[in-house]
This record gives sequence, structure tokens and C-alpha cells, in this order.
Amino acid sequence: MGSNGKKTIVVTRFDPDRDEVPRTQSYEVPVQSDWQVLDALNFIKDEIDPSLSYRWSCRMAVCGSCGMMVNGEAKLSCKDPLSKYGDTVEVTPLANFPVIRDLVVETEGFLERVQRVKPWIIRAKEKAVEEGPVRQSPRELADFSQFSMCINCMLCYSACPVVGNEPHFLGPAAIALGHRYNLDSRDEGADERYQIFREEGGVYACTYANECSEVCPKNVDPAAAVNQAKVGAVLDWAKGLILPRGGEG
Amino acid sequence: MKGLILRLEPVIWFFFGSGFLIGCLLFPATIFALGIAAPLGWVPAEALAYDRVAGLAASLPGRVVLLAMLVFPLWNGLNHLRHFAIDLGGVKRDLWIAPLCYGAALVLSLGALFAVVRL
Repeated sequence: MGSNGKKTIVVTRFDPDRDEVPRTQSYEVPVQSDWQVLDALNFIKDEIDPSLSYRWSCRMAVCGSCGMMVNGEAKLSCKDPLSKYGDTVEVTPLANFPVIRDLVVETEGFLERVQRVKPWIIRAKEKAVEEGPVRQSPRELADFSQFSMCINCMLCYSACPVVGNEPHFLGPAAIALGHRYNLDSRDEGADERYQIFREEGGVYACTYANECSEVCPKNVDPAAAVNQAKVGAVLDWAKGLILPRGGEG
Repeated sequence: MKGLILRLEPVIWFFFGSGFLIGCLLFPATIFALGIAAPLGWVPAEALAYDRVAGLAASLPGRVVLLAMLVFPLWNGLNHLRHFAIDLGGVKRDLWIAPLCYGAALVLSLGALFAVVRL
């Protein structure tokens, strides 16, 4: 604890009713030694400029809403200590997303991509309640639990060079989520998802940059999911050659 | 062409993945055997005598291994080049980069096949 002097926080501002293009605004903030970047933004909002807009909620890296670029890197601002930066810290909205206002970005496209991979358990035939639960061993749970830790913070979309280049790309989090269901022993919908993975902007659009896993604050390792999904999509494609789709289940 | 490449992506990726595996396992082993172990005398000279090695390469398993070591890494490298070009310059240029890279991989693979068959 204790004061750590002042830092200049340079924030991107954008008011769609007033600004043609985003502008920057600097704030002198008396920071505490244990502050995260979000604390500085909250100080600005509470004490200096209430018009500053940004998303945040849990302050403990669980809700995934406070993602932004700090000195050019995608970060969860609640989990990014100010002490590691110099006297000037630049905060901009998440890259690769349309900006609504200040640091608030449009999430619609991201949510549409998440839905496209059918992130729910698909069963060929639903089990009747009286037949009891679908059991899963700890080992089967371990197969996918890492990929279920995603908090949809969208940092991986900001870091991924393909998301910026290819408007159709499903993106790391959505592919990791689809892969999580493909690995779930209770799920029977892998064929459907692999077909989506093989479409334009699917898993093969990934260029192996690995930036998604570098920035992931929850160690989901989406790059591993994407590349495992590529293997799965190849095997599923080969299976389709041997067993024509019409003959399946 | 774009649609054709999209349909072939699983095959291309299989070649890429195999090339990666071979590049990681067989290339370092080959470099170690021929570049380090042999010059240092850890491998007896007669083990790497020309006739013996030529005979091994011309056997059926030898030809299969040689072909795999030549062809798959080609697809690995050219697939990487394609994606590198996308990262650097955007997806639009992929319209000509992808056919160029995979065309080159195909031509060089056929060349490798021709050379291995002629052994």
C-alpha cells in the first residue's frame, strides 16, 4: 500500500455524437503502489472526469468485462498492476473491435461467432430423466476443463492478427469453446462443429501466431484448442470420405 | 481457386502437420548423425559408406522415408510462408499467395517423387 507518486494516464476518448475520430486525453493520477490499471480509471471517473466510459464489474479477473489495450497490449485492466509501467500509461480500447464510446467496444460480432460453434451439449437422443444422469469421470472432465475456463474477455481477439485481417474468422475463444464441447464425453455434436470449423474463416484460417495464448489471462491456451481442432477436423473430414455423411447416425 | 483451397485445407493441413513432425524428429536426428556423430568418429566410417547408404536409400522403406522427409516439410514450410504473408500483408493477397505457395509445394513434391523413384 501507500502512495507511489503520480502517473499520467493517457486514455482514448471517443464520443460518436461529437467526435469524427478518436482523440486522447491525459489525466494526472495519484496512484497507490498496489493499484491495477482499472483502479486508475476508476479514480479518473470518480474524481476527475465522470464522462469517461469503460466496462468493468468484478475486479477479480472473473467477469471478463474490463479488457483493454494497455501500452499496446491486450490486458484485463483489473489484473494489470500499474507499478510495472513507467510514468505514462496509455490505455486504448481493445484492438480489432468497433468502438462504441471511449474504451467501450461492440461485442455483437464476437457473440455471434461464439453462437456459431454451437456451444452447448448436443445429443443424438436426449436421455429420459428416469434413466439417470449422464455420468462423466474426473479424467473425462480433465479432457476439456482447461478450455472451459474462458471468461469471454476477448483479449485473444485483440491480439490475434487473423481477426484483424479476416472478417469471417471464428477466432480463438469461439474455436476453443467449440473444441471444449467436442472433447466433452457427454456431447455427440462434434460432426456438426467440425463442419463449421472447416468453413471459410474456420480453424484453418489460423496462422499459428500463438498471440491468443500469450494474452489469455486464464491460461486457457486457445492456440492449443485451435490446433487440436485442426487435427480433429482433418480426422472428421477423412471419416466423411470413408463413411458418407448420409450414412451417419 | 479459393473454394478449391478451402476444400483441400484438411489435406494441406495434414501434410503441414506431418512436415512439422518430421522436421522436429527426423531432421535433428539426421543432422546429429551426419553432421556431428560421423565427423567426430562416433559412427564407424563403413556404416556410412556410399554403397551401403545408396542401397538403403533405394530400398522400399528407404524410398518411403526419403519421400516423406522431402515432401511433407515442403508443405510445412510453404503453408507457413502463406500464413506469414497473411499476417504481414492482409488476407486479400492470399488470393494469389495461396495458389503460388501450394503450386510450388506441388511442383517440388512431384520433383521429389521423380527423384526418389529414379534412385
